[in-house]
Amino acid sequence: MRLFDRNQMAMTAVVRYPLRSSMLLVAIAIGVAAVLVLTSLGEGARLYVTSQFNSLGTHLLFVMPGKNEVGGLGGMAGSLGGSPRPFTLADVRALGRSPYIDTTTPMVMGGANINYQGLERDIGVLGTTHTMQRLFEYEMESGRFLPELDLDNASPVCVIGDTIARELFGNAEPVGKWVRMGDRRVRVVGALAQGGQSGGHDLDEAVFVPIAFAMQMYNRESVMRMMVEVTSDEAMVKAKKDVQDIIRARHFGHDDITIMDQGTILNTFNKIFLVLTSTLGGIAAISLAVAGTLIMNVMLVAVSQRTAEIGLLKALGARRSQIIGLFLTEAIMLSLLGAIVGVLVGYAAIEFLRYVYPLVDFQAPDWAVVAAVLTAVASGLLFGIMPARHAADLDPVEALAGN
Amino acid sequence: MISRDVISFTQRAVLFNRLRSGLTSLGIAIGVAAVVILTSMGEGLNHYMAVEFSQFGTNNIRVAPGKPETMGLGPGIMNTLRPLTIEDAEALGRLPYVVATTPNRIGRSEVEANSRIRVSNVIGTGPDMADVFQLEMAAGQFLPLDDPLSPRALAVIGATIQEELYGSSSALGDRIRIGGSRFRVVGVASPKGDLLGVNIDESVVIPAARAMELYNVNSVLDITVRFEEKAPVDEVVASMRRLMLARHGVEDFNIATQQQMMEVLGSVLDVLTIAVAALGSISLFVGGVGIFTIMTIAVRERTQEIGLLRSIGATRWQIQNLFLSESVVLAVMGGVMGLLLGGIVVAIVSVTIPTLPVRLSVPYIIAAELVSVAIGLIAGVAPATHAARLDPLEALRTE
Amino acid sequence: MIRFENICRDFKVGDEVVHALKDVNQHIEIGEYASIMGPSGSGKSTLLNVLGLLDTPDSGRYWLNGRDVSQLADDDLAATRQEIIGFVFQSFHLIQRMTALENVELPMVLARVAPAERRDRAHQMLSKTGLEDRMNHRPDQLSGGQRQRVAIARSIVMEPKVLLADEPTGNLDTQSGKEVLDILEGLHADGLTLILVTHDPVIGQRSHLHLRMIDGVIQAERRHQQRRPEDDSHAPV
Repeated sequence: MRLFDRNQMAMTAVVRYPLRSSMLLVAIAIGVAAVLVLTSLGEGARLYVTSQFNSLGTHLLFVMPGKNEVGGLGGMAGSLGGSPRPFTLADVRALGRSPYIDTTTPMVMGGANINYQGLERDIGVLGTTHTMQRLFEYEMESGRFLPELDLDNASPVCVIGDTIARELFGNAEPVGKWVRMGDRRVRVVGALAQGGQSGGHDLDEAVFVPIAFAMQMYNRESVMRMMVEVTSDEAMVKAKKDVQDIIRARHFGHDDITIMDQGTILNTFNKIFLVLTSTLGGIAAISLAVAGTLIMNVMLVAVSQRTAEIGLLKALGARRSQIIGLFLTEAIMLSLLGAIVGVLVGYAAIEFLRYVYPLVDFQAPDWAVVAAVLTAVASGLLFGIMPARHAADLDPVEALAGN
Repeated sequence: MISRDVISFTQRAVLFNRLRSGLTSLGIAIGVAAVVILTSMGEGLNHYMAVEFSQFGTNNIRVAPGKPETMGLGPGIMNTLRPLTIEDAEALGRLPYVVATTPNRIGRSEVEANSRIRVSNVIGTGPDMADVFQLEMAAGQFLPLDDPLSPRALAVIGATIQEELYGSSSALGDRIRIGGSRFRVVGVASPKGDLLGVNIDESVVIPAARAMELYNVNSVLDITVRFEEKAPVDEVVASMRRLMLARHGVEDFNIATQQQMMEVLGSVLDVLTIAVAALGSISLFVGGVGIFTIMTIAVRERTQEIGLLRSIGATRWQIQNLFLSESVVLAVMGGVMGLLLGGIVVAIVSVTIPTLPVRLSVPYIIAAELVSVAIGLIAGVAPATHAARLDPLEALRTE
Repeated sequence: MIRFENICRDFKVGDEVVHALKDVNQHIEIGEYASIMGPSGSGKSTLLNVLGLLDTPDSGRYWLNGRDVSQLADDDLAATRQEIIGFVFQSFHLIQRMTALENVELPMVLARVAPAERRDRAHQMLSKTGLEDRMNHRPDQLSGGQRQRVAIARSIVMEPKVLLADEPTGNLDTQSGKEVLDILEGLHADGLTLILVTHDPVIGQRSHLHLRMIDGVIQAERRHQQRRPEDDSHAPV
């Protein structure tokens, strides 16, 4: 039988039983659409994180005290201050002198309470330098960001997030006011515009202070992490080596810092999200196995309803392989149509998600779409084999009699 | 028609087409099995955490820096205005009912001993730690009772460290270097494995004050307080809070009992379990579509039979009942098969991969079974109603 | 051309074994017009099924077109059916979802005949059976007689040597039945070997070789003398 004829015959059978065919389409479409939607969640999250990172520009290095080891305690111990030699402001200043390094942005994070005329609340404190604004492109509601100061200058000034500004000052202008942070008096020099959320910090609830001020307040010698803006993409490798060399020289021959570029960080994220996305897709794909049982059932019904027709085909000289091919084609055609409907429904659902959450770029990864369609078709093939063989094994005499 | 007859009628209908019934039930079974297996992972993790937490008794309280936060880690975990100190731990130890306190400071350093070098975890803690975490010694003793603020430079090494740096020779009394500072080994711990996420066997244990000095920090990471078993927990927590407030002036610390920590973790895992159960239920839904399809086909195939039943006096309600019970039976069979299938997979996993904690979750099993019954009912309603509405004469005449 | 030697075919019905064909020996020549009659359960349908290679005998040998076909494999049987045998059934066995033309094309579809050619041939056959204006109708838009004519067109489209008809007029009124029989006899006149199972004694009388079956045994009887000499020889009863 020619391929075209086989497809044609299978198609007429599909159309002949609309209810059964459409239910089968629904079952497979649900499975395929579920795979698409769930993987689009994982992929959307991945793209969101990636875009957040990439908005920082591409030539950044992240430096942390402590030697990081994969899967170990290293990274955490490092940022919690568990590394032997402090990563000091003097180290930061030394790094800033490298010809490949544009800016250095050291950071110290912590908690504190802030107080203005009896109004008090807990805040997250971020000790850093004026270069931070350039990296994250913070927008100001009023005033300006931290001034350009010498690294050691613990000038008592701060920039406050929008939520804090509203809670402490209401509609009044916060710039120029003096607030109390712990037992220190600090002058507000700027207020951030609302809605900032970058690098994992909720800016609305943050307070920025000069790095030296934060280190004094928390009584520490070591910065917790540092972002290094390299002069150009080409200089990345050299800059990385420079950072390593400078610190090794200053730390008596010890490589006790961890340097990461965006690539390595993104790779880690990508790996995590890939596992997440494929797990979600895999769970959704279980429903395709369920749809498979329905394919088998519906095809068995089809064989029993078309027994006489099978008998006729055999009388007309149809080979065993032709009968099998005919029913397999029908099963695959149904599952393929279901998969197409599922892809369409899935894309529509993803569009809806994007409409509801415009911030996140939900999209089903191509591999997931291909895998979902292939799985659907494969289950059509797998679960169609048994009924098709059953049809081919029918005795022609019995079949013609309709038994 | 009495219910026994409905049952036997249904039984025959289901058994008449075994393969078809089996496949229809299998659809539901896969969905139920998916829910059973996925939730058993969540439940297993939950149970693992509970055991991990309660292995040292339930009379522990953790004091950590930072304001108590409802969700996640507050900024205070990194730095607070007033650090959590060894003095805090000492003061807490003098409260009524409190039997032991251990300030903890962890880090990671090169350990140099017996002219070999290895990077290892460093746990700074107090002499009570061995008691609180039931750490047993293979040789020597644990950190002795010293002045907590200026203790001697003594160390206890973990089993793996002993093996890698000393092999079978004794480490006791030997001098080792940790991150450049010299310590004397006073004890070797028995193999213990993970202790709340830190592998003890690959660690060296030194006094907390020494660790703070080593890492040049002024605060400990947390303080574990152990109280008398029969003591009133609320009162202990209240007195700890009063003491800490008096010492720090502001509430820049948080006190969590073991119970609370387990609840927080448990609720996170519960959300996770609900999520995977919901995802697994997509399969159950597809199984429902399968039942609907097969029941619709069954009604068509048995149209004549329906006509006959109606002509000999069956009411519409009886016809509807027959088909509804058939679809529910298919779903319930699937539910039972799925439970068996899931149970077997979980059993196999727990035997072959002992590191993956799995544990059947009874509430979810019950929920999955109930959902499968509901699916049977919902999927059966339309075909059964259609069957009941057939005109008896027309039905009889249908081929 | 067709030769049965000691053909036996048994069926199990419940606990009982029914001997549908008991040691049948029969010879049918090319161009023969044979009828098989007998009470129901006498084995005439089984004989037709074995003749048509839809059923295989339990023992004995069957020569078709000079070849022993009693032990062929499934696919070889199918191939032989496709080449040599045409079937006409009492219940027509047309596929409802296909037009008359498509039904006639079906055997050529299975035989991978090119679409243009098979359309032509199906056209010719339907013209031959007087259905030029009904080609694009579905079976349910045709009368019984027309349906059977479609089935006949389908049965001869592969140019078989033998046409087997099982009660071809059984579901038809007298007039349609007569038309169908005329077509079949016309095909015989063109040289086709025609073997039909019938209850109708009138049709039985029109055939040249009359095979009467009772309890799995054939009694052969020649009603009309044929002009061809080889027709003189026929197998012993």
